[in-house]
Order: sequence, then C-alpha cells, then structure tokens
Amino acid sequence: MSRTLLCRKFCGLFIFLLSGVAFAQAQLPNVKLFTTGGTIQSKGDHRQKLMEYSAGKIGPEDLINDLPELKKIANVTYLEESNIGSGGINAKILLKLAKDVNEWLALPESSGAVITHGTATLEETAYFLNLVIKSDKPVMVVGAMRPFTAVSRDGPFNLYNAVRVAASPEARGYGVMIMLNDEINAARDTTKNNTYRVDTFIARDMGPLGYTDSDRIVFYRKPTYRHTSKSEFDVSNLKDLPRVDVTYVYQESDDSAIKAFVSAGAKGIVLTDNDDKAIKKGQKKGVVFVKSDRKGSGRVVESEKQAGLGIVTSDNLPPHKARILLRLALTKTTDPKEIQRMFNEY
Amino acid sequence: MINQFLQIFVPRSRWLTALILSVSLPALAQEIPTYAPQPAMPGADVKLPNIVLMSMGGTIASSADTRLNISNYGGKDFRVNPEEWVEDLPELKGVANITLEDQRAPQDRAAGETFEDFQRVAKRLNELAKDAGVDGIVVTHGTNTMAETAFYMNLTVKTNKPIVFVGSQRPWTGLSGDGPRNLYDAVRVAGSKDAWNKGVLHCMNQVITPARDVSKTSAYRVNTFKGVDVGALGYADPDQIKFYREPVRRHTNDSEFAGMDFPSLPKVEVAYAYRDAPAYIIDAMVANGVKGIIVDGTGAGSPTAGQTEAIKRAQAKGVVVVATARTHGGRVQDTIRRNEAKIVPGDNFMPEKARILLQLALTKSSDIKEVTRIFNEY
Repeated sequence: MSRTLLCRKFCGLFIFLLSGVAFAQAQLPNVKLFTTGGTIQSKGDHRQKLMEYSAGKIGPEDLINDLPELKKIANVTYLEESNIGSGGINAKILLKLAKDVNEWLALPESSGAVITHGTATLEETAYFLNLVIKSDKPVMVVGAMRPFTAVSRDGPFNLYNAVRVAASPEARGYGVMIMLNDEINAARDTTKNNTYRVDTFIARDMGPLGYTDSDRIVFYRKPTYRHTSKSEFDVSNLKDLPRVDVTYVYQESDDSAIKAFVSAGAKGIVLTDNDDKAIKKGQKKGVVFVKSDRKGSGRVVESEKQAGLGIVTSDNLPPHKARILLRLALTKTTDPKEIQRMFNEY
Repeated sequence: MINQFLQIFVPRSRWLTALILSVSLPALAQEIPTYAPQPAMPGADVKLPNIVLMSMGGTIASSADTRLNISNYGGKDFRVNPEEWVEDLPELKGVANITLEDQRAPQDRAAGETFEDFQRVAKRLNELAKDAGVDGIVVTHGTNTMAETAFYMNLTVKTNKPIVFVGSQRPWTGLSGDGPRNLYDAVRVAGSKDAWNKGVLHCMNQVITPARDVSKTSAYRVNTFKGVDVGALGYADPDQIKFYREPVRRHTNDSEFAGMDFPSLPKVEVAYAYRDAPAYIIDAMVANGVKGIIVDGTGAGSPTAGQTEAIKRAQAKGVVVVATARTHGGRVQDTIRRNEAKIVPGDNFMPEKARILLQLALTKSSDIKEVTRIFNEY
C-alpha cells in the first residue's frame, strides 16, 4: 500500500519534472483546485469500507500527486478551504469559497476552477456558487461516492474529468457544473438521487448538459436561466447570510416547527406545501415564505391566489435549493413580488 | 371548478407581464414578436400570436367506435378533420389566432405517409417560415415516426420561429384522451417568444423536448416521449411556458441543409446487431444500392464479426458506414479502432435518426471526415 503510494508520488514527480523541462508550462491551462473535504478526501480503515470512513483525511497535495495524468492537461494549483464532510459547510465557508474562486477567476491567466466537496450537500454549494460567481470560466464541483482508500473508487476519474472540463475553453458560459460519473450536470437542476451508487447525481426531467467521453468533451444543452456572470447577486461585501429554514409538510404536521424557526430568528422559511395559519403568523413578523415541493420533479406553478397571500413559489427548485436562493434574495429585498421575480429568473 | 379554472387562467399581474417582456433576448436575424406568452381569456386586449395548425394526421386525428377503444382506432371512416379540433377545443381561440392546414396523406392511400408527403411538408414549412404573418407552427403527426419527421424538419427548415410537433397516445375521441390538452399546450408553446431559436420542438404530456433527442419509449403510455440521455428543455405548465435549456447542436436557421429542396435522398438502411447477426443482410443492402448503412451496434457501437466482414465489402463499394449503439443511451466514441475501420461514430443518435442525418450528409459528401464532422455538429 505505502509502496504503491510512494511509487505514485515518484511517478508524479517524474512527470512533473518532465513537463517542466520538456514543455513550456504556460501552454497548459491554469486550473485551481479548491478543496473542502468530503468522501473524495476520506480514508477508510480497509479497502472494502464504503461507509463510516474516518481513518484519516487526504489533503489537496495528495489528491494532485495521486493523479499524475493531470500534469498533461493543466497546471493545477490548489487552495485548501476546509477538510470536512459536507454537512459542516456553513455560510462562513461558502462566502470565503465564493470570494476565493472569484478572485482566482478574475486573473487573466486562470482557465477554470475545481471544488472538491462532500456529496451530501454538494448540490447546495454548487447552486450557491452558480448564483454568486462573477465569471464565465468553467467552475466544476466534484465529489466521490467511494472514499480515497476504497477498491474501485470513483474519485480519481471524477477529479480528472473535472479538471479537463475546467481547462476547456468550450465549457465557458454554462454556469457552475457538477462532475461525477462522466456526466456534466448543471448546478441548478442536479440533485443527489441515491445514497450510495456512483450514478447518484442526476438532473431529473432536464438531464445532463453533456459528457466527458474519452475522445472528447461534448455538450448537448445550455441552461437558459440567469447564472454566474449574468447574476445580480454579489457576495463581495457580505459577512453572513440571512437565516432561512425548511419545514417539511406531511399529514398532521402543525405549525410548531414554523413557530420555532421564527423565534430562532429565521428571516425566510421554505415549505414543502401550504400551511395557511402558520404562514399568516410568520408573515406578521416579517418572515418571507416560499412554497416548494417534496416531490423532486416539476414546477410549483404560480397562481393569483398564492401571490395574493404574499407566498412566493419556488418554480422547480427543491426545498434545499429554494433556501439558497431565498438567502441571497433576502440580502436585497423582503418584497415577495421582487423575490418571486428572482425565483422566476434564476 | 370554474373558480379554480379562472384562478389559473386569469391574466398575469402587470409586474409579471412587464418582467416577461423585458427579459433580454439574444440578437436574432428575425425579430421575435412581443406578444404575451400566456395571453388572457378571449376578449382581453392582448395581441395573440398567429399560429398555423397543420395536420399530418396521427392518433390525434383519429376517432374510434367507442370511447374505450384506445388500441384499434382510425382508418378511412374514423378520421378527425382539423376543423373538428377547433370546434372541440374553443379555448384555442384564447391563446392564438389559428389558421388550419390539412397536410394529411391522401385518404385512399393504404400505406400512409410517404417520402413525397414528407417533402411537401418540408417545402411548406419553409414557405410558412418566410411568411411574416406567421408567428409559429404546430404540426400533428402519428407518434410512431413523429421523432424522425420532426428531426428531418429540424435539419431542413430555415427558420428561427417555433415549430412544434404534437400527437396523442389515445384517439381524439378516447376516454381521458390526451390529444386535446397536448394540442392546446403545443399551440401555447408555438406562441411563446421563449420558444424562438430552439429548433423544431416536441410537446406532449406538458414536456417540451427538442426534435434531435426526443424518442418514443413506451407503446401506450401518455408519457411515452423522452429526451434520451439529455432530457427535456422545459414544461408547458398552466401558468406559463417555461424553458430551462437550449439545444447546443446545429439546427434550423444554422443548418447547412436548411431551406433546400431534396426531391430524393440517397438510400440508407439500418442493420441491427445481436449475437451472431449475419453478414448477408448488409450484403443484401449493398446489392440493393444503398449509399449508407447505419449499424446499430452492441455495447458502445460494435458490429458482430460477420457484420464486420460485410462492412468491409460495403466500404469497398463506396458505402459509408455509421455506428450507433443499441443501448440507446450514451455516445459512440471516436476511437482509434473505429477510425482504422473507417466507421463514422454516430454520436448518441438513435439509428433511425442517424439514418436521416446520413441521408442528408450524403447529398453533400461521402468523405468519411466530412460525414464525421456533420455527426459531431448536429
């Protein structure tokens, strides 16, 4: 095991030196790896361990050294943002990450960015970045379903493909993308669909944007909604994000969760269905309500009735993504009509 | 019931209309009209789009002896004329000014639609595309080969106006027939300014899918049409027509085959691959004068050993061979082995669509590199 790793390190070093000597490094695209942690950077205590892998962490340098093939497609530099599971990602980490990525992409010599992330909330971070990155350059969020130490781990190829797309000029203008299982998916529309399988990330209804096939990167679709360089949201002066919570509506669910969130200081609440009485009470305290849905496919349609009650509808955003957009919307306004416009456009 | 209906269909509030009108649009060769995409009930003061509703027949233009007959309908005595659609669906007047056009195959013809019908409609769609008084076109079609016809129009009609193909899984008269709602939604999509510049579209079951990728996936269910692999572009929802995607591949205005007349097309056939699939089918195709063959290969697009021998013989006679994958999902890649075998990778096309593209490509060139370029771009 350690011998293989050592061998890999030497191999990587060799190719690095080779590429430094034989080729002008400036000819390769410059891609920066921002690491936050997750399964892709986790170690298990044996190779068959696909859950509860807590035997250690992998840093950005190890990720790069493990994949000497990267040297042929890009100059990869890195910045470690955190090394935690995605459940621990919070507004502070998100804001710093967005600022760092924006700073990197503003440099004329940068080609793209890759962010490693735990898969559980990966789509939330990806959608957040899709709304606040001020660049057309490709931003790839990548993860793995199997830890770094596992047999048949998916992480290395996912990372390799993410760097390939980030280094590709034809990938500009598609917004932030999610890269696992050879599929290029749009941050806004993609959701984790299975607890363990490697094909977990899918965009229900709309499908992927394209593939990273061996012969080349192909695109079939381009998103039509606002994102990245066309987005109105700006995090450069933000120190925190407004509190927004999600309540799940089910048979016999009552207003106790909403009451608790409001008293905890929530400025917005996303619902999976209506609860008229609780909404009215919350609205009196200035809380904005967005109606999403728990089905995971299809739009919540707009209606005069909902608009009349001051309830914003979430289009086809699932509750946890409606929460991200509402947080950013609330940095600009609390007017439900204006927030509805944002939900229609982003 | 009526109250619910009104809640959904009353005019959108002013701020929303203003928003829809002010969304910035890409620069286009032809100006996109500024009518509201979801107009009000009849009589309200909005400019309605002018939509041509063209019948090429299909289940949607068929009736049956009883309401429960949804499998043995249509034929000479069970046709629904376009006028009957409008009579049965007065709501259409609320969303568009409709002009009807009958392009069905002649009633006495037993075999149904032929290449001549196909050609006549392509020519007519090119004419309508140039007509400044037409804002969009809806074409009805039988569902079995609708995806092929729509894809052909996607490559040969020069326009940036919406052309929307629609059909139904149940006859017009069937109980819980899907035809009326599909037709109503297709007219709304054709009348939507957001549908401009997206190529030929398909709309059934409230889902909008581009002609290139749409495919019939179930024999009878109403959700039969899917965008294989890459999904839909948007929805025809009660409140609005909503798009999330635009196609990246070349189509309509941007197609090198658009606006041209093709009185005939080179003969191209499809050979299916399976364990032990023989050479003689391909040899027979060549003996019958094909200019191109689509081999719908196993796995990632592989012909069998027998087929491989026949492919070499066909290529020696100048026949162009394209590989698709019978997995009907994923691309056939440009590999070294395939390059050496001079087989064109058929991207992620269904074989019947690769056939149409190869027919058109062969009108321009039989050079493998040029045909490969065309398969990479469309």
